[in-house]
Amino acid sequence: MTDKEQPKTLYFTHFFSLLGKGTVYFFEDLGKYFSIIWWMLVNSRNAKEYSRNIFQQMVTIGNNSIPIVLFVSTFVGMVTAVQSSYQLYDWIPRTVVGALVTKSVLLELTPLLTALVLAGKVGATITAELGTMRVTEQIDALEALAFDPISFLITPRVIAGILMFPILVVFGDLLAILGGMFGASAIAGISNDAFIEGMKNSFETWDAVFGIIKAVFFGYIITSVACYQGFKVQGGSEGVGKATMNTVVITSLAVVVMDFILASVLL
Amino acid sequence: MIQLTNIRKKFGDNEVHKGINLEVHPNETVVIIGKSGGGKSVMLKMIIGLIKPDSGSIVVDDKEVTTMTYKQLQRLRFKFGFLFQGAALFDSMTVGENIELALRRHSDYKDGDIRERVQYALNLVNLENVESVMPSSLSGGMKKRVGLARAIALTPKYMLYDEPTTGLDVETADGINLLINELKKTLGVTSIVVTHDIHSAFVIGDRFAIFENGKFILTGTKEDIRNSPDDNVQKYIESEIQT
Repeated sequence: MTDKEQPKTLYFTHFFSLLGKGTVYFFEDLGKYFSIIWWMLVNSRNAKEYSRNIFQQMVTIGNNSIPIVLFVSTFVGMVTAVQSSYQLYDWIPRTVVGALVTKSVLLELTPLLTALVLAGKVGATITAELGTMRVTEQIDALEALAFDPISFLITPRVIAGILMFPILVVFGDLLAILGGMFGASAIAGISNDAFIEGMKNSFETWDAVFGIIKAVFFGYIITSVACYQGFKVQGGSEGVGKATMNTVVITSLAVVVMDFILASVLL
Repeated sequence: MIQLTNIRKKFGDNEVHKGINLEVHPNETVVIIGKSGGGKSVMLKMIIGLIKPDSGSIVVDDKEVTTMTYKQLQRLRFKFGFLFQGAALFDSMTVGENIELALRRHSDYKDGDIRERVQYALNLVNLENVESVMPSSLSGGMKKRVGLARAIALTPKYMLYDEPTTGLDVETADGINLLINELKKTLGVTSIVVTHDIHSAFVIGDRFAIFENGKFILTGTKEDIRNSPDDNVQKYIESEIQT
C-alpha cells in the first residue's frame, strides 16, 4: 500500500464504522420505541385507572394549544387566499380562489402546519417534562411506589394527543377558511359571495375527513415520539436539552413523511 | 431479610459491582459507606428490581428478586419505602398529592382515611400545614422530609435511603438522622442507608459496609471500622474527625 492510499483506506474504514454504528443505534432505538408502544397497548386497560391523567393531558395538549393553532390557521388561510388570487389573477373566475383555499387548507395546510407547530409546542413540552422527571429520579420514584410509569405517564399523553389533535385541526380549518375569506376580500378584492360560492362548489366531506385522519396520525406520532425521547433521557439537563431538540427534529420529519404516505394511500 | 450474593454489574466497560455480598437482618439498619458515583445507589435500585444485576442473587423474604415477573416486582415494592437522593418529589403535584398518590392507587382507604394517613405521615416527619404547598417552594431539608413521609405512607417493612443527608447543612442533616432513628423505633423498619457521610452513618447505623472499587472491603460494627488497619477504611474515619 502506498502512502497516498493509506489515508484513503482509513477514511473509508472510519466512514463505514460510523455508518455501521449509526445503523445499529437507529434500529436499537426503534426497537426500544416499539417495545414501549407494545407495552402501552398490552396494558391499555390500565388507562381507565389513569383517566384523570388523560383529562389533564387533554387540557394541556388541547386547550392550551388553541390560541397558537387558531393564530397560525388564520394567517395560513389569509396567505393562501392572497397568493392564489395573485397567481391566478386574470386567468380564471374569482370564485376559484374560494375553492382553492378550501381544498388547500382542509387537505393539507391546516393539518400539516398545525402538526409542525405542535411538534414544537407539545412535543418539546412533553420531552422536557418527562426528561426532567427522568433525571430527577421521579420516574424511578413512581416505579418504587409500584406504579407502571408507561401507563401513568405515556399512555395518557398519547391518548390525549390522538383525541385533541383532530379537534384542533377542525378549529384550525374553520379559522383558516374565515381567514382566507377575509384575506380575499380585504387584499385581493374578491367578494365574500364569490369566495363562498367557490367554497360551496368545491367542498367535499372527504377532504375534511382526510384532514382529520391525518391529525390522528400526527397526534400519535408527536406525542409517542416525544414521550419516548423524554423517557430515555440520560445525563442531566444537557440530556434533556438534546432530547427536546431530537423530538422537534424527529417529529417534524416523521410528520412530513407520514403526510406523504397518507396522501398516497388515501387520496 | 435481604440477602445479596455475588452481585455483578457492568455499565459499558465500567464494572461497578464486582461480586457483592450483603445480609440485612430484620430491624437492623445497615449503612453502606463509599464515595459518590461508585455504584451504591445502583445497589438500592437492584434490591427493588429497578435495575437488574448481570449476575448474582438478591433474595428478599426468601424470594429471589432477579427472576421476578413485573407483577411480582410490583408486589415486592409495596414492602419498600425509598427515599431518593434529591427526594424525587413529583413537582407537578402538591405535597399532599405526593403522599396520597400511592395510598389512592394501592389501598382501599376512603378519602377521609387518606387525609388522616397523610397527616399521620407528615406528623411523623415533623411537618405541619404543608399539604397544599408545591415541592418547588420547599427547602432541601423539607423536601427530604416529604420524601420520607411519602415513603412511609404505606407502612413499609423495609426502608431504603439514598444519601439522606447529602446537600444539607449540618443542623438539617442531624434532624434527618434523628428522624431516621425515630422511624426505626416507631415503625420497626429494616433499613439500608447509602451515604458517604461517615458522621451520619455512625448516628443511624447498627452495622456498616465499606464499599470501595466495586466491593465491600469491610462489613462490621462501628468498632470494627474504627479498629480496621486498612487505609481505605481509615480515610473515612479521618473524614469524621475533620467534621
